[in-house]
Amino acid sequence: MLLFDQLNKGDRALRTVAWVALGGLLLLGAQLWRLQIFSAAKYRQSQETQSFRTVRVPAMRGKILDRNGIELVGNAPRYQLDLYLDELRPQFETEYQHRKLQVLAAKRVAAGEPEPTGFFAQFLDKFRHKKRGVRLTRDEIGALERQVRYTVVSNTVAAVGQRMGMAIGLSEEALQHHYLQKRFLPLSIVTSCTPQQVAQITEQGWAIPGVALEQVAVRSYPHGPLAAHLVGNLKRNDIYDEDEGVFDYRLPDYVGGTGLEKSFDHELRGVAGAKSILVNSAGYRHRQAEEIITPAEPGQNLVTTIDLALQVAVEQALNGVKAGDERGAVVVMNPANGDVLAMASAPAFDPSEYVNGISTERYNSYFLAAPERRSVNRASIGEYSPGSTFKIINALALLENGLNPAEIYTVEAGPGGKGRYMLGRRPIGDTAPPGDYDFRRAFIRSSNSYFINYGLKLGWDRLMAMGHRFGLGEHAGIRIGEEAPGFFPTGDEARERGWSQGNLANVSIGQEITVTPLQMAVVLSAVANGGKVYWPRIVDRLESGDVLSNDKPVVVKPGQLRSQVNLQPRSWELVRAAMRDDVADDEGSGKASRLKNFAVCGKTGTAEIKGYGRKDKVTWFTSFAPYEAPRYVVIVMVESGGSGGGTCAPVAKKVYEFLRDREQGLTKGVAAR
Amino acid sequence: MISPLVAPGTREAHVDWPLWIAAFGLMLVGVAFIYSATGDTDAAANLPWWRYRAIGHLFAFIFGLGAVFVLCLVDYGRLARWSLVAYWLSIVLLVGVFLVGVSRNGAKRWIDFGPIQFQPSEFAKLAFLFALANFLSRPPEELRLPGNFVKALGMALLPFALILKEPDLGSSLVFMPTALVMMFVAGVPRAMLGKFLAGTGIIAALILFDVLFAPPNWKFIKLEEYQRRRLMVYFNVDFAPSGATPDQARQARLLQRDTAMNVDQAMISIGSGGLTGKGWRLGTQHSLGFLPRLGAHNDFIFSVIAEEKGFLGSVTVLVLYGVVLFTGIRIAGEARDRLGRLLATGVVTLLFSHIFVNIGMNIRLMPVTGIPLPLLSAGGTSVLCSLVAIGILQNIHLYRRHY
Repeated sequence: MLLFDQLNKGDRALRTVAWVALGGLLLLGAQLWRLQIFSAAKYRQSQETQSFRTVRVPAMRGKILDRNGIELVGNAPRYQLDLYLDELRPQFETEYQHRKLQVLAAKRVAAGEPEPTGFFAQFLDKFRHKKRGVRLTRDEIGALERQVRYTVVSNTVAAVGQRMGMAIGLSEEALQHHYLQKRFLPLSIVTSCTPQQVAQITEQGWAIPGVALEQVAVRSYPHGPLAAHLVGNLKRNDIYDEDEGVFDYRLPDYVGGTGLEKSFDHELRGVAGAKSILVNSAGYRHRQAEEIITPAEPGQNLVTTIDLALQVAVEQALNGVKAGDERGAVVVMNPANGDVLAMASAPAFDPSEYVNGISTERYNSYFLAAPERRSVNRASIGEYSPGSTFKIINALALLENGLNPAEIYTVEAGPGGKGRYMLGRRPIGDTAPPGDYDFRRAFIRSSNSYFINYGLKLGWDRLMAMGHRFGLGEHAGIRIGEEAPGFFPTGDEARERGWSQGNLANVSIGQEITVTPLQMAVVLSAVANGGKVYWPRIVDRLESGDVLSNDKPVVVKPGQLRSQVNLQPRSWELVRAAMRDDVADDEGSGKASRLKNFAVCGKTGTAEIKGYGRKDKVTWFTSFAPYEAPRYVVIVMVESGGSGGGTCAPVAKKVYEFLRDREQGLTKGVAAR
Repeated sequence: MISPLVAPGTREAHVDWPLWIAAFGLMLVGVAFIYSATGDTDAAANLPWWRYRAIGHLFAFIFGLGAVFVLCLVDYGRLARWSLVAYWLSIVLLVGVFLVGVSRNGAKRWIDFGPIQFQPSEFAKLAFLFALANFLSRPPEELRLPGNFVKALGMALLPFALILKEPDLGSSLVFMPTALVMMFVAGVPRAMLGKFLAGTGIIAALILFDVLFAPPNWKFIKLEEYQRRRLMVYFNVDFAPSGATPDQARQARLLQRDTAMNVDQAMISIGSGGLTGKGWRLGTQHSLGFLPRLGAHNDFIFSVIAEEKGFLGSVTVLVLYGVVLFTGIRIAGEARDRLGRLLATGVVTLLFSHIFVNIGMNIRLMPVTGIPLPLLSAGGTSVLCSLVAIGILQNIHLYRRHY
């Protein structure tokens, strides 16, 4: 070959030269092979590590909608001003050179080396080697750069503040932290701009270098605190999930803290995406080079079973009951399938306060208040003695076990013209007056004596078994995180506790046991529909958050039966009729909920409890309507109320009034169902 | 006038095609990758197109090719008669650097001639080649005299010392292998060369030891601080002296990292190129500033090529250099006289030293020294001299039969 002739031709000296040259080139080639082939992966990794930063981009969170698709919780843009440090680098450099000269001059004076004066001295100075004393050390350079950055950035921030007519603060530490941790990302200097400011920024020529208006999506609550406990709140999420991938930085992200936001967090959150930002050797963003690695998938929209207009009516009714000092809950359910139509709890909180970060005082006022004032979802997690409303269960158990509804029981007279029941030597008060009671009258006058008398004959097992058939003592099974099972022992458990006849007497009238308003909604639904105990349904379907998506919504099947309580039709009928009369009869305890053209059936209750360390009352009104074809179950519970009939029945009346008027097309201005 | 392409009295091909095809290939690569490394910066600075550094490189080629044409008009034998004049002129220029030279990045290597800046060390390399080849082309018997050996060494040591003082360690060091190889090919007795080599080796080892390990007040050799640090990085010597306080150790480690950074980043550039590279102008290491901004288009141009064109690209460059070097050796073998043979050998050694030291530095086979890669590194004087060196080969080839 032409080239390699030299290796074996010509004289020895030239041949040696040729071999050495060949050897040298092969040595270079071998090392190149080692770097570029053998270790290529390692170097590529180093190169990516030093020049790319991956940033997790949270997905747009899904909306929470009412059953008609009206927004309960949505997303709204928030405008913020961001400062791109990389665009300020020329200013950093200019300012640095300027300051450096000053610092050096000062150092020279300190080192006893005067500033050269006169043309000749200055000329000579250029040729002199810089002595150690007048050089900047590495630490001094670092400190000076830090100082310069803060000067330039705070000048820019001040200019922005002046333009917007507001004072913007930026601490040196905050800047340094941003610089050290994430200088490839913009520094947010104004987190929330008012619409006026946005208009001002976009209309005028905005020529402050490095400052840009950015839009971020935040949670919006068009109805304020409406259904707050049900939808729940969001909180900042900084938990690093390795499964999502490895990121250098997470953009601010939120996670459900309570309510549906929490229990459906996974579906609402969507799938976070990732983008990579090219950074230069100084760690700044390289121009505007950003690459989306994986786009974020928006979260699914949650269509609830909530009826927005009804929820509004319910909250209005509940919030009027104690002049702003309400503590209570209302649940409205469709007895035909267990759909929760409205769910309210007072006192509520305002989830929108979380959007820009809730203050400690506000947070404490909601959640660290005295126990009875704490803002929790009383409808599902509040456990209360059902009081006389439990007589519905007791009545069903009695009728199933052979109680003759026509049998007369005479309530003996106690002090003050009231009735009383003597359990051995212990008197138990009765709000019903002394006299003769058959089943119907005992129910609507809510006679304690009657139900204690027969309850004691019924015994632990048969009474408690009836409650368990309706799911008492167990979670009702609504899919929001905050739920309590109540306290409802079996007969055996009661005996194990050493409970006496006295306890049984108390349980017969709904004391010593606890239930949640939601559980009562399930019980009343079963009473209304003839024994079908449903799993309450709060979510109707999950729809893709992407409007262009063809994905079919995931529908939660309505009317999922938990159990069927098979009783004699006569028992159901007697109880339902008694409930109707409780409202319809002038003697009935629930007559305050009576409505024209809408046969409300109800049972009042007033439980005496030792709540929060002192004697208190829990008042109830549990009901369904209309009698002929039950379409609604309304449970009202108010803590520290006067009485079930006095405090709660009027609330239920307002709710039914709304429902009746809407059905008859009388209500205006509310989306018709 | 004699055309350089048609030597009188012969009909053979006179342009050495392999040599020039390889050289043109390298020139093309040079312009393309200097553009890759500097085009964006030049565009951002709003320079007119003719002030782009890639275009400057192209101009240097055109000017250099013109110089080659002129060079080939005259027989190298006739040129060699002026070699001592050129040699001493180059020495004068090197001394002149100290008096009127201009500094860039702390090294005084240039003389300012108004529109262009000239680097005398590059010219000195060529002048030295001619002078030494002329000196060594005397009858072999005379080369056995120790006096002549010393004289030849002295010819190399004078520019070596002057350039070392600039400081430009890399450029000064190439004089030594060039001189030794030329003496070896000229027929200076092996024993003499051997003793000299052994002696230099021992002295070099002692110097290195002194530079790297001796305590500060025992340092007899005064290298520039940055040169010493580069050597310490190359030999993996810990910067923190034993018994340093934690703060000193931290400072030392930072310094070590900074010093090692250029080489580390060059290795990352080259290694991350992989087999086929990231594509022309798609390398990130220079645009993001990981490769030194002042070096990406000259001393570290090979890293840019290797990153953007991968192993295939870097081997292509090696092959092109191989063609130039082996053609040079062939030309040395075919030269009509000892002068031509020595001159060609000198050119080959000089080119090879540059190639090996520069690429070796990029891939950590050699310590970092500022030495250009012939035809690829930006820098007018270097390009001009590399072309003239190849032109000398062409000249020897052209006049190989003609007396």
